[in-house]
Amino acid sequence: MVAYTTELPIRLDLDTSHVEVASRWATTGSWWSGVERVAIVEEVRRARDADDLAPWEAPSQLDGLVAKDHLLPTAVVDAIWRITNHPGTLTAEWHASILGQDVNPQAYVELVGVVAQANAVDRFADALNVARVTLPEASSDQPLRSNDNSAEVTSHWVPTAQVKGPNVVKALSAVPFEVESMSLLSATQYVPMGTLLSDLVSDQNSLTRMQIELIAARTSKLNECFY
Amino acid sequence: MNQDSQISFEAIDGSQAGDGGVKHGALLSRLCEAMFTQDPDEIASIRDEVIEAAGPDVLVDAIAVSANFYMMTRIADGTGTPLDVGTIEPSAEIREIVGVNDFMSRREASR
Repeated sequence: MVAYTTELPIRLDLDTSHVEVASRWATTGSWWSGVERVAIVEEVRRARDADDLAPWEAPSQLDGLVAKDHLLPTAVVDAIWRITNHPGTLTAEWHASILGQDVNPQAYVELVGVVAQANAVDRFADALNVARVTLPEASSDQPLRSNDNSAEVTSHWVPTAQVKGPNVVKALSAVPFEVESMSLLSATQYVPMGTLLSDLVSDQNSLTRMQIELIAARTSKLNECFY
Repeated sequence: MNQDSQISFEAIDGSQAGDGGVKHGALLSRLCEAMFTQDPDEIASIRDEVIEAAGPDVLVDAIAVSANFYMMTRIADGTGTPLDVGTIEPSAEIREIVGVNDFMSRREASR
């Protein structure tokens, strides 16, 4: 199975990683069922395709934007739109307000993981003007919803496990399944984690390392991401 | 980083700053900008420019890298990830040049 049908030379490993991540979206996670996880991805798509809202405008508060019988809780829908469209405006207070609406802290971590992955995969397709990856049939198995008690809030807003590595890798560590998905995508879209600190003049696919890092930095600045 | 490479960090600030010592740097920066604005005509135009200047492989791989950072930025900012302690001092000058210190998303780990 391929993710994309196009004459453009999309590397097989890259295409395969998008197929695999889409399959992982449809799989029941630690906190959200496969059906709910696919609903999260579908909401990311709606958020991206909708007319711009200001960061402080919650879609759930605007008539007709969010169905009253939406599968996902209102706070989750609002969080998806804000993370998708205005990530640089997120604050600790905002995060606390989401948790204050009965969103479990580790469920929130899984949510961030899926939202972030969907943003990457769909941005890729949209920029190439190819159809977005098809969402597989989703599992309705119920998740365990069991807290990883070794994860604590220390350096981040969210609980993190005691793992080594850069803070952005620690960020999703309370939900290892999402760390795996992030790593899977990063390896084919960017550079594999093990080569991150290699000599910066080495070639990576068709790009030089310098070109890769320029693109990474420019994109991050456009998204107003300090990290 | 290889000491023989002359790289200008101003190129991260915008495509108008030039290539920054990176082959096709300004063009790749414009690609990032087009992906950000999501203007279909702008993206279509820059796609053609990149293919003509650098080839379709570069277009696909460049878009993949940029897409990856739509993921990484949302992970960092969605979870309140602070800048790693060991990065704060070495990055001070670059952060000033690139112009990120006033971002709302500024968070630094405690020493």
